[in-house]
Amino acid sequence: MTTADLAEAREAPPQRPADGDSAAGQSLSRLLRPYLGRFAAVVILQIIGAVAGLAPLLAVVELGRTLLSPGPIDHDHVWLVVGAGAAGLFAQLLFTGASSGVGHLLDDQVQLSFRRQLAARLGRVPIGWFSRRQTGELAKVVGEDVSAVHPFIAHTPGELISAFVVPLVSLIYLFTIDWRLTLITLIPVALAVALVPLMMTPTRLREQKEFDAAMGRIASSVVEFVQGIAVVKAFGGGERAHRRFLTAVDDFVGSFYQMVRGLAGIAAGMQVALSPPFVLLAVLIGGTTLITSGGMAPADLLPFLVLGLALTAPVAALGHGFDDMQAARRAVGRIRDVLEVPSLPEPAHPVAPQGHRVELREVRFGYEDDHEVLRGIDLVLEPGTVTAIVGPSGSGKSTLVQLLPRFFDPTHGSVLLGGVDLRELGSRELYRRVSFVFQDVRLLRASVADNIALAVPHADLDEVVRAARLANVHDRILELPDGYDTVLGEDVGLSGGEAQRISIARALLAGAPVLVLDEATAFADPQTEQAVRRALATLEGDRTILVIAHRLETIADADTVVVLENGSIVERGRPAELLAQDGRFAAFWRSQRTAIADEIEAHGGVLQGDEPQ
Amino acid sequence: MIRVLLRVLGHEYAQPVRRTVALMTITAVVEGLSYALLVPVLRALFGNDPGDARPWLIAFGAAVAVYAVLRYVSDLSGFRSASTLLHGTYHRMGEHLARLPIGWYSEARVGQVSVLASRGVLQALGVIAHLLAPLISAAVTPLTVVVVMLAFSWQMGLAALIGVPVVAAIQVWTGRAMAAADAERAERDHEATGRVIEYLQAQPVLRAGGRTIERFGLLDDSLRGLQRASRRSTLSALPGVLGLTLTVQAMFTVLLVLGAHLALGGNIGAAEILAILVLAARCADPLLSLADMGGQLRGARSELTRLDALLRTQPLPEPGDPVQPRHHDLELESVTFRHGDRTVIDNVSLSVPEGQRLAVVGPSGAGKSTLLQLLARFYDVDAGAVRIGGVDVRAINTSELLAQFAIVFQDVYLFDGTIEENVRLGRPDADQAEVRAAVTAARLDEVIERLPGGWETNVGEGGALLSGGERQRVSIARALLKNAPIVLLDEVTSALDPVNEAAVHEGIERLMAGRTVVMVAHRMRTIRRADRIVFLDGGRVVEEGSHDELLHRGGRYADFWDVSLTPAGSE
Repeated sequence: MTTADLAEAREAPPQRPADGDSAAGQSLSRLLRPYLGRFAAVVILQIIGAVAGLAPLLAVVELGRTLLSPGPIDHDHVWLVVGAGAAGLFAQLLFTGASSGVGHLLDDQVQLSFRRQLAARLGRVPIGWFSRRQTGELAKVVGEDVSAVHPFIAHTPGELISAFVVPLVSLIYLFTIDWRLTLITLIPVALAVALVPLMMTPTRLREQKEFDAAMGRIASSVVEFVQGIAVVKAFGGGERAHRRFLTAVDDFVGSFYQMVRGLAGIAAGMQVALSPPFVLLAVLIGGTTLITSGGMAPADLLPFLVLGLALTAPVAALGHGFDDMQAARRAVGRIRDVLEVPSLPEPAHPVAPQGHRVELREVRFGYEDDHEVLRGIDLVLEPGTVTAIVGPSGSGKSTLVQLLPRFFDPTHGSVLLGGVDLRELGSRELYRRVSFVFQDVRLLRASVADNIALAVPHADLDEVVRAARLANVHDRILELPDGYDTVLGEDVGLSGGEAQRISIARALLAGAPVLVLDEATAFADPQTEQAVRRALATLEGDRTILVIAHRLETIADADTVVVLENGSIVERGRPAELLAQDGRFAAFWRSQRTAIADEIEAHGGVLQGDEPQ
Repeated sequence: MIRVLLRVLGHEYAQPVRRTVALMTITAVVEGLSYALLVPVLRALFGNDPGDARPWLIAFGAAVAVYAVLRYVSDLSGFRSASTLLHGTYHRMGEHLARLPIGWYSEARVGQVSVLASRGVLQALGVIAHLLAPLISAAVTPLTVVVVMLAFSWQMGLAALIGVPVVAAIQVWTGRAMAAADAERAERDHEATGRVIEYLQAQPVLRAGGRTIERFGLLDDSLRGLQRASRRSTLSALPGVLGLTLTVQAMFTVLLVLGAHLALGGNIGAAEILAILVLAARCADPLLSLADMGGQLRGARSELTRLDALLRTQPLPEPGDPVQPRHHDLELESVTFRHGDRTVIDNVSLSVPEGQRLAVVGPSGAGKSTLLQLLARFYDVDAGAVRIGGVDVRAINTSELLAQFAIVFQDVYLFDGTIEENVRLGRPDADQAEVRAAVTAARLDEVIERLPGGWETNVGEGGALLSGGERQRVSIARALLKNAPIVLLDEVTSALDPVNEAAVHEGIERLMAGRTVVMVAHRMRTIRRADRIVFLDGGRVVEEGSHDELLHRGGRYADFWDVSLTPAGSE
């Protein structure tokens, strides 16, 4: 099957946007600069090998001349020729082998270096940047996309050289023998090239574009079908989803067929024109005519028979591997995009904060330019106090707390820690002072102890155990097969609540003076809820604590309550004062009380059978 | 390889592919045979009267014409087969996926199948489509040429023939050697991908610990491991590639030496020798390309094997003579269910009378969700029976069975459409008023008001625009719209903000009213609405009774709640 030729036609030069190509090329060469020496070695070894590979073919030619020359055959010369041919073969083996070996090893190193560069860059971009990206997509850049560069480095030099240098050398050599027959030998190539414009008519191009689009559509409908099918089936809609999927498939195959119908004949024609028998036929007809007319020595036909086939290689090679090259080009584009993400600016002269009072001054922030999430927040968090934020979903609570560990920088105003703008603070210093427990808990595939001691790598086991006890997870850890040495993920998984307690232990051990906590995590299960309460109780003292509060106990115990609505602070004060004001907070308090009434009843052991339904 | 391909395609679609392969093989044979005519042509050209070459040349021209026609036809047939391949593979896959039990679709499976179905299949088919013709031609034409050689010079033919098994052996041997290295590499790749994802997701935590790439050794180790594996795979491929090159070149050298020897001895004409050498040179490149193609085909084959494994997964058997359940009471009788070698549900018996509510409580990993899934026959039990209205679920037609259930799961899948369309999934033929009623009952109307485009807003793939609680409400609305007699509820564990909490609770109350309910519950307020509670641990029912009974008993259930209500330290 020769869809290779379709791909070739589809991807032929006129269709490619030149600027994107050269940009990708530039960035690739910049990324590759440190390896240019070895890359050059790959290319040079390959050239030597490829040219040496012509020796055996020339040996056949020379052997023919000797055998066909009138008079007695010079035996020594024959063996010399044979020896030279064999030596050429050996040299080809040696040099192309070396080139390929060096190329692949170079490729491995380049890939490692790309991956390290990407990881390093991703370790410096603002955390908030991740929330706009799919982790899977980014992992794909580091994994698959880097792998996709492989043909660029390991295969392309070889293929391009075999495809272009060898034919070029052959062509020059053939011209020196007989220019007329050389031109005749080129007829099949000319025929094939003449067919190319037929593949480039507007109709054909449109069909190809439609096919590309259909290809994108089929991939996404496959994913939607697979991801949705369990739910769809549960609602008895399996048949319909299936039919929709089949329609998408039929559309795709239809557009493929449409494209193929237009191209198949031409592509097959090209294949025939470039096929070895056809080239040989052209050479033999031309040769016979020239020889019978006395215009050429019979022995001169041999080089054309042997080398003529090589001339078609460039055209044929255009298609072969072109898809890979295209994919590699796109992959390099994506790699470059990631490497070009500006990293969170580090201050040139970090300033040391005095104390750990946190101040937000006229902070405005929006994920998009035209939509502000925080609209002018002024807030002071005093050391030794707990500040509780309450407010409806979408009010900007999560965004607000994420400004403290500098997941984002405010678009206007500033966040100060100990009198220093967070942007003036080195990031190590910042994270040493601010720790957080957010909803999205991440455990590493490492031992439990390492997970807890993440922020304090040199903590001893006693400290780790103390933190785990406080976080209510010590007993559970002891139940694991290897206790604190159990590697999470591989040997054993933890439930969501347990993972959250580990993350609480982590924050407790880090012992940063500023703690930011999203209490929503606490609702996972009763044990976790208790862990958070205990942590808050233990942690008070000199610490600055900011908590997104959900539970009335937490709110009641807070020193300050801030009610956030639509990105602005609408009420603030001591909980009792706010209740007395009978405003938003009081309304919120009342709605919460009814919600937790059940729990309180159960706690008191008051058993009521006549619960309203 | 071809066998796997044909099996994947199934009987119906395999025929055109088989025909194409046959056509391509014939084309390659004709190509090889046509070269035989080179000998008389060259003999005449190199002889005393070059004009004698003309009739032979005409014969060669005719042979090339036959070849050209065959080649053209087989190429066209190849294009048609490519459509058939696409059509066949996707249809087979789609049909099969639609028949697999819901339980089969775990999160990991969905991920794997998505990748396989979108990228994998296209990749595999692409490689096959690109390589089938060159591969057949690279293998068959040289073989035919060897036969031609034998006809003209048995010595040279024999010499070439000896090379055939060597080339074949090297191909097989390389394939095996590479398979191991490839597998190791794939494993390292997998490991590294896992680390990269972990590294990305744990960024905040890692930074807090000052663990940037330089200091996060786990990631760097796995990246280096990947590089080492990749180097090993390169090195293990090298002997094969070099061996093949060496063999092909040695064959050519032997032919060159032998040809020179024979010619010098006058045993054979110069034309024959030269024609044979020209042909030998012609065969070298395709043979060398075999190694490269082999590597690509191995990649395609592993995709095909995965696809084949998918297609061989057995769907749950459908009853030959389906029974319709008349009542909606539920019963599990001595049910045991294993997942791999782990017993998830261990000899559980329980029953829920029609219209009653059962809450399933227990620590994580106790088998609570699995219990729900067994009721709706996402899996078949390994022992015992699940009955609805006294009828074994295995005796009920799958769509009939699913019609009995409204299911609210923790993970809510939303497709890229409006909320209304997503709710309508519950009952596609519902009219506008019914959909609106369900939307209002689940308090989704509040959510819709908040969305920029109101009712017309697309929620984005996977429901990106909605919060967890809001998605939960969509799921409840679906279940309300479906209006099925039995409700299966897997309550969300994660916290919801008060507004969503209240809305979800209200929705669930409405959903449960008057229906038979089995719920996996985490919140006291939900559990207290149940008529009976079972406490599950390690796949077994440990305690059973009403909330009050169980609290008074002071057993596991009471312990479970006690923890949550112990005042913390200073309080």
